[in-house]
Amino acid sequence: MKVKGHFSRYAPKSSIDIGVFLCKCGGNISHTVDIRRLKSSIDAKVVKEFENLCSIKCQRNIRDVILEEELDRVVIVACSPITHEKTFRNHVAPLNPYLLEMANIREQCSWVHSDMDKATEKAISLTNAAIERVKYARPLDAIVRKTKKSAAVIGGGISGITAALSIAKQGIKVHIIEEKPTVGGNMIKIGKVFSPEKLAEECALCLFNPLINEAVQHKNINIITNAELKSSQRKTGNFSLLVERRPSFVKEDKCMACGNCAEVCPVDVPNEWNEKLMFRKAIYKPFPQSVPDVYTIDEENCIKCGKCQKVCTMKAIDLEMKGEIIPLNVGSVVIATGHKGFDLEKRPEYGYCRNEDVITQMELARIMGVNGPTNGKLLKPSDGKVPRRVVMVQCAGSRDEKPGGKRYCSRVCCMVALKHANFIRRYYPETEIIICYTDMRTPGMYENYFRHVQSKEIKLIRGRPGEIVKIDDTIVVRVEDTLKGEQVEIETDMVVLSEAMEPSKGTIKVAETLNVGLTEDLFVKEKHPKIRPVTTDVEGIYVCGTAQGPKDITDSVSQANAAASKVSEIMNGGLEIEPTIAVVDNYKCDICGECVKACKYKAIYMHDERISVDPIACTGCGICISKCKNKAVEVMGQTDSQIFAMIFGLLKDKKEGERRILAFVDYIGYVAADNIGINRISYPESVRIIRIPSINRLMPKHVLFAFENGADGIFLGEYPDDIMYPDIQAKVQEIRSELLRNSIDPDRLLYYKVYAPYFRGLANKLTEFDKQVSKALDKLEPVLYKASSKDL
Amino acid sequence: MKEIPDKEILLFKSCLVNVEYPGVESSTRFLFDKLGIEYIVSERQSCCTGLGHYSDLFDQFSTAALAARNFGIARELGHKNIATLCATCYAILKKSGNILNKQDHIRDSINKILDDSGVPDLKYNLEDMDSRSNIFHAVEILYNKVDEIQDLVEVDLSEIKVAAHHACHYCKVHHKDTIGNVRDPMVMETLARACGVQTVNWYDRKTNTCGNGFRQRYMNKDLSFSITAEKLMSLKENEVDILLHMCPNCQLQFDRNQKVIGESFGTEFNIICLNVSQFLALALGADPYKVVGIQTHTVPVEPILDKIKQIIHAYEV
Repeated sequence: MKVKGHFSRYAPKSSIDIGVFLCKCGGNISHTVDIRRLKSSIDAKVVKEFENLCSIKCQRNIRDVILEEELDRVVIVACSPITHEKTFRNHVAPLNPYLLEMANIREQCSWVHSDMDKATEKAISLTNAAIERVKYARPLDAIVRKTKKSAAVIGGGISGITAALSIAKQGIKVHIIEEKPTVGGNMIKIGKVFSPEKLAEECALCLFNPLINEAVQHKNINIITNAELKSSQRKTGNFSLLVERRPSFVKEDKCMACGNCAEVCPVDVPNEWNEKLMFRKAIYKPFPQSVPDVYTIDEENCIKCGKCQKVCTMKAIDLEMKGEIIPLNVGSVVIATGHKGFDLEKRPEYGYCRNEDVITQMELARIMGVNGPTNGKLLKPSDGKVPRRVVMVQCAGSRDEKPGGKRYCSRVCCMVALKHANFIRRYYPETEIIICYTDMRTPGMYENYFRHVQSKEIKLIRGRPGEIVKIDDTIVVRVEDTLKGEQVEIETDMVVLSEAMEPSKGTIKVAETLNVGLTEDLFVKEKHPKIRPVTTDVEGIYVCGTAQGPKDITDSVSQANAAASKVSEIMNGGLEIEPTIAVVDNYKCDICGECVKACKYKAIYMHDERISVDPIACTGCGICISKCKNKAVEVMGQTDSQIFAMIFGLLKDKKEGERRILAFVDYIGYVAADNIGINRISYPESVRIIRIPSINRLMPKHVLFAFENGADGIFLGEYPDDIMYPDIQAKVQEIRSELLRNSIDPDRLLYYKVYAPYFRGLANKLTEFDKQVSKALDKLEPVLYKASSKDL
Repeated sequence: MKEIPDKEILLFKSCLVNVEYPGVESSTRFLFDKLGIEYIVSERQSCCTGLGHYSDLFDQFSTAALAARNFGIARELGHKNIATLCATCYAILKKSGNILNKQDHIRDSINKILDDSGVPDLKYNLEDMDSRSNIFHAVEILYNKVDEIQDLVEVDLSEIKVAAHHACHYCKVHHKDTIGNVRDPMVMETLARACGVQTVNWYDRKTNTCGNGFRQRYMNKDLSFSITAEKLMSLKENEVDILLHMCPNCQLQFDRNQKVIGESFGTEFNIICLNVSQFLALALGADPYKVVGIQTHTVPVEPILDKIKQIIHAYEV
């Protein structure tokens, strides 16, 4: 057989024995397609027809024929590969499963067309295309991924500890990397926490401490405090991390945490664990229940006077201690780096920096904590007296569209304010509580708690305060009561601002080091927030807790468990991956890195001066191929020769005056097209569907080749996935300009966004496009159609 | 922060400045000259319509049309960067620029008018002006030169206490382009501090309006004055000598009406109102009458002058 143009370069070297197996599908196919005519038109070594090819008996038959006739390739002419490709692949052994091709003459032919003549002709061309394509199939082996059974959890707050415990219990080694001298994060600072379906507050420490102790004692957990992630490299699905541990100047194995050192330390430092409401020493233990239970010297403030060294009977203090770099090789990483409170200096009208008695909810939480600066007593920072009235200001930094503000709702602040209000009303009944709110957001079971606290005679004013000022000795909160439409000035002696949650510095830094995407608000972005939660855009890296977005402890814990189960999935599952992924030819590659930049799935990476593909992350979309100027990349199962062969096969028997439209669609588009068949909706016989991984796999040369070989129109259909959509648009534009350059009417090309359930829309679009192409041809054919054919 | 030019500047004249406080323009020119800023002033330029626009006399279309004409002049003169003396001019020009860039049909109708009026050269082409990178308040041009200003100060002002009233039309209308935190703009304080003066960085009611509200001053006089009064009281509590302005409307409200408002409260405020350019010009040794134009002020500026003079005198001895 002769083929022309650049396609011929890809022709197979020697003759190949192909077996074609036709299925009548109990009349589903044979009632519309003339099987005899189809059979007679096929050029192959063996052609066999069966009533029901998918039955077990027939499957055995296929195998026998393959062995008897010593076939090299198999074409199954039957239903959609979506339904039965896996089944047939299992039955072509000893042939390699990827040496099989299917022609879908049921969903995309007999079920959508009624004219037997035309349907048969289309079935012939679909079969021909499959035969052409299978000649270029190569044997492929499934990729079995080997992942190291270990994980790193970055951040030792409630989310990190929960995730680490769950992973450890599934038999996986976990390293917790915590930048502070103790684990515990934000939760450990909060005295009382709220819970769904409970009207009472619970002690945070009592809930969290057992978990921390369990983590410390677990044989699979290694806690590294005072440590930061410095760098990360991916190698064959694993991560090589470098963790820098700052010197603590105290030997962990010797320190007994007696505290003698702190007593003699002459340096006072504002205690960040107590929101700087009180002081600590330069040698300190953040709080009595710190883990690990040892003292630390904070290098920044220590004056190296050596007094602590003299009183330490254990000789645990070493002022010459050096930091260390710890290399970790792990199979997965969980980001649990948490949040920080909004910087209230950005809201100067609230006077947070000018007025001691204007505090944050976190500061109030410390004041109310029994291990806090006032031993749990509600006292004003300015004079140590119990406030007579506390005004809480919601949305301080949240739901704010002005520059510097956060547009999002921080989700927990309404409940935090109610929790503190309830607590204050119970223990300080003389203290009045006023909450100025934008909307009270207490969804689900929290509404019960809201009603409960409301009954404690707290006052609620709907309005966002404009200014908080000190007049003489009184704080005045100016607010518009938007329900009454009145300007109100509230005199008070204490104000609590419900500060927004924003991503911690660590969250942003770790995301950068790991090359993980962030949202517009700089939280770690999930791959698909609805159906792929906790998954980041780097395969093998997961996120949980407030690093992903504002949320309460309950949600953080469940997210942490979800992340842990994803880690366990890739480590315990023994994943087998379809080999239809990108492969780099290192002889041709000059390591320009364009493919690395183009890959939105971050599946291509560079290390040791070569480009590698992570088989788990690669979707085989093929965008890397268009970026590679050296033609060093290929997608297995979707090689250029396979695509050219398919196009050639679908067009080779085109008759004079016949119209043929090639529809290149992705997986979702293919499913939608099958759905058209399943629902017996019709569309023009001119349409021939080709499944590709993504429009990004296509290049102008494919489209030009199709026009050259007689295609009248090219339809491109793909689900507009967020992550790839901009590239699809660019690709369509690129193809369109190429058509213009070759004087082909751009009306003969169409891009359409497909959605699996909206198959009717696809059917209508295919019909419309057929008409559009016909019009374009009427208008231009005499001149341009010929021109395009000649020029190529 | 946005990029601020120091050349090819058209210093945009303001009606209210010329009528009420001409010293604002002469002080700004004095400063621009001293700082080597390359600028021109054009007699061909027309009013921004601000006062009329906010009194419902000019609609948005005529406002945008006049802006297009002014932009055309700036372009023709090769001075595309506009620096306004008045915050209202600033906001109006920015808004008009955005309309001309974004609304094709309005741009087309305005261009037709310019064509019909025999000035086709002044027609507005898309993206001729960029609201963010071509339209500035003169204070921003000065802010960009704050380090140079510091080196040119000639008098000791350390005993004077100033506060600033940042104009609403500068801070709140196009707040994404405002320098610093829109909730606590410090542009004028930063400039003042460079002259060694004490600044009150925050005072109660700092970000409130001046109360002027264009026709509000005439239609709702009591409301207008009560807002000005609140602010004056707060300034008095903070013992402010000078209130710095960046808009002649605000300056007018605080200067011209201060005595009347004081009388209704049985008090005297004696808070001197100066445009920040006037204040900086004084600090850089400009003539108080010929350049700074203090003779047009209602609240006398002389007491502070005496204070400054004494200091200068002490130096001379």
